[in-house]
Amino acid sequence: MTDITSTPEARPVSLLAPDERTRKRNAAERRFRIYGMIALGIGLLALVVLLTSIVRNGSGAFFQTYITLDVALPADKLDKQGNRNREEMAKVSTFGYAPLIKDAMAAKLVEAGISIDGLDDAEDLISKDAAAQLRDFVLARPEVVGETLEFNFLASGRIDGYYKGRVTMASAARDSNVSPEQLRLADALKGNGALRTRFNSSFITAPDASENRPEASGLGVAILGSLYMMLIVLALALPIGVAASIYLEEFAPTNWFTDVIEVNISNLAAVPSIVFGILGLAIFINFAGLPQSAPIVGGLVLTLMTLPTIIIATRASLKAVPPSIREAALGVGASKMQTVLHHVLPLAAPGILTGTIIGLAQALGETAPLLLIGMVAFVRDYPGAPPDGFFDPASALPVQIYNWTQRADPAFVERASGAIIALLAFLLVMNAIAIILRRRFERRW
Amino acid sequence: MDDQRIIERMTGMMDIKIAAKDVNVWYGDNHAIKDVTVDIADKTVTAFIGPSGCGKSTFLRCINRMNDTIDVARVEGDILLDGENIYDPKVDPVQLRAKIGMVFQKPNPFPKSIYDNVAYGPRIHGLARSKAELDEIVEKSLRRGAIWNEVKDRLDQPGTGLSGGQQQRLCIARAVATEPEVLLMDEPCSALDPIATAQVEELIDELRQNFSVVIVTHSMQQAARVSQKTAFFHLGDLVEYGDTAEIFTTPKDNRTESYITGRIG
Repeated sequence: MTDITSTPEARPVSLLAPDERTRKRNAAERRFRIYGMIALGIGLLALVVLLTSIVRNGSGAFFQTYITLDVALPADKLDKQGNRNREEMAKVSTFGYAPLIKDAMAAKLVEAGISIDGLDDAEDLISKDAAAQLRDFVLARPEVVGETLEFNFLASGRIDGYYKGRVTMASAARDSNVSPEQLRLADALKGNGALRTRFNSSFITAPDASENRPEASGLGVAILGSLYMMLIVLALALPIGVAASIYLEEFAPTNWFTDVIEVNISNLAAVPSIVFGILGLAIFINFAGLPQSAPIVGGLVLTLMTLPTIIIATRASLKAVPPSIREAALGVGASKMQTVLHHVLPLAAPGILTGTIIGLAQALGETAPLLLIGMVAFVRDYPGAPPDGFFDPASALPVQIYNWTQRADPAFVERASGAIIALLAFLLVMNAIAIILRRRFERRW
Repeated sequence: MDDQRIIERMTGMMDIKIAAKDVNVWYGDNHAIKDVTVDIADKTVTAFIGPSGCGKSTFLRCINRMNDTIDVARVEGDILLDGENIYDPKVDPVQLRAKIGMVFQKPNPFPKSIYDNVAYGPRIHGLARSKAELDEIVEKSLRRGAIWNEVKDRLDQPGTGLSGGQQQRLCIARAVATEPEVLLMDEPCSALDPIATAQVEELIDELRQNFSVVIVTHSMQQAARVSQKTAFFHLGDLVEYGDTAEIFTTPKDNRTESYITGRIG
């Protein structure tokens, strides 16, 4: 018997009055909770600031200023032979179409009765891309030649910026690309109804455009390229990763060789992604001779990068299946293979799918390895349909963002933020799929 | 030991189903089973008793070669099933396990429907040629598992939704569905309450008509209630083997006596 318990009167008097130790313990607990809430608050604040700044900068990319004009398509200029032969008509370059837009603009000013002192180059309100747009339209439908049709043309980047707050009268006075008179004309056209801001679906579908036409640039090629790469990663990394994990987890003997493999897989997951890019450049492009900038190479590199993630996630979920299920299956005479395929794999499926989608999401946002295999190139042509399209040059979403942030025109800041919104939307969709799949195949034991 | 209800039976006359000769098992360097030689009779319940870690479960798992799935386990010696050595290199353990069913300590139904739980074994072994035949096997097995009346209206519901005792009887039904010749039970009642235990024990007594049952148990009362033959294991040795009545009333070895009277174990 110790001294403490020997004398009953030495015990604490009442439970209603907490003693010194209890008070200290409770205070420590309260402090810890406050630390936790502060940490959470900082995280949430950072997220909110990030999202608001991206949305504020980027939402403009989804809305664009358009100008509606009636364009006459004279047959004597566009189709000199008069036989509506596409090959003949294709000889008229975009320079042949530009005057039509200039004439249409002049006609519009006369019709609306707008006259602004000191105004020249009224047609510069229209994007330089408009002539190409007109030409594509005419070549697609030669029968419209000779008619006068209504067209919605993109306004130039500066005019668009005027309505988004990037350009002011004061800045226009110093700008060689736009004049205050042109801005006044734009306001007049807006009052007339010819100039409107609309939802810009071509930001999602159009290919990239050159440095001085930010208004025409879009994510089409980048989205297709990213989609193709994700398809390749999914088709390669999932079966290879799952097969490797099942072998390592269920069949491989435990010896030094499998230990070495295990350590290496964990290490590969930590290798910087740019190293995989160099590997891809050396092996897939220089040695195997695959084309540069192609989704197939990007997909292969990202597959290598995603494999360790998938293998680690798959092994963890295989390990989580209780051994009693394996014993039950073996006990009724199932072979090892049947045990794995019929019982273990279905139970591990939610974990495997979640791991795979997290790996894919990681690959989707990866930029560095793609820079090294040439996906940073300026690509204006859509890649073809798979499987041939896997070998066509393409861009990728994160690389497109990287590209746009490097361009001088401030309109590209908005474009880059818009692209980030698109990328985040993709990631959100993928994570939502992961959650739905997890719920769907919830472990039921 | 007054509560034992040992029924006198002519156990000595029965055929030998399993004959183990000089079986040794090592887990790495640990010698878990030492020179065990035992003959297990057909259509009989044989109980393995002994303190924890004595090797009774290990020996049970030798009989259907479940120890093969443990990397470090090494088995030596012969175990003959109807005169054929199951450790012969030509024997496929998968085929063997269909003939020797097993019920585990913790009820472990598959996370599938009750029907699929029972139908799984017959399906992978191709025992049924048609859906009707499979239905018949499932019903017969569930009846043998004494659970048919409780589940016949909800065969499509998950087996994991049953109570512990029902799950264990479902596992027994699953084990008998492949028409095994021997049924191994590794402490089948240790996770069950007394009422479920009584039901399973009753069932074991019925199973004796069709199968040779080997049961590992921690409860000496259970061994006395359900078995005709008892083997007492201690520290990897088979100390004593004989008719249950004899083991519990007139044990020959000191260690057996100490164990059943509660002085060791």
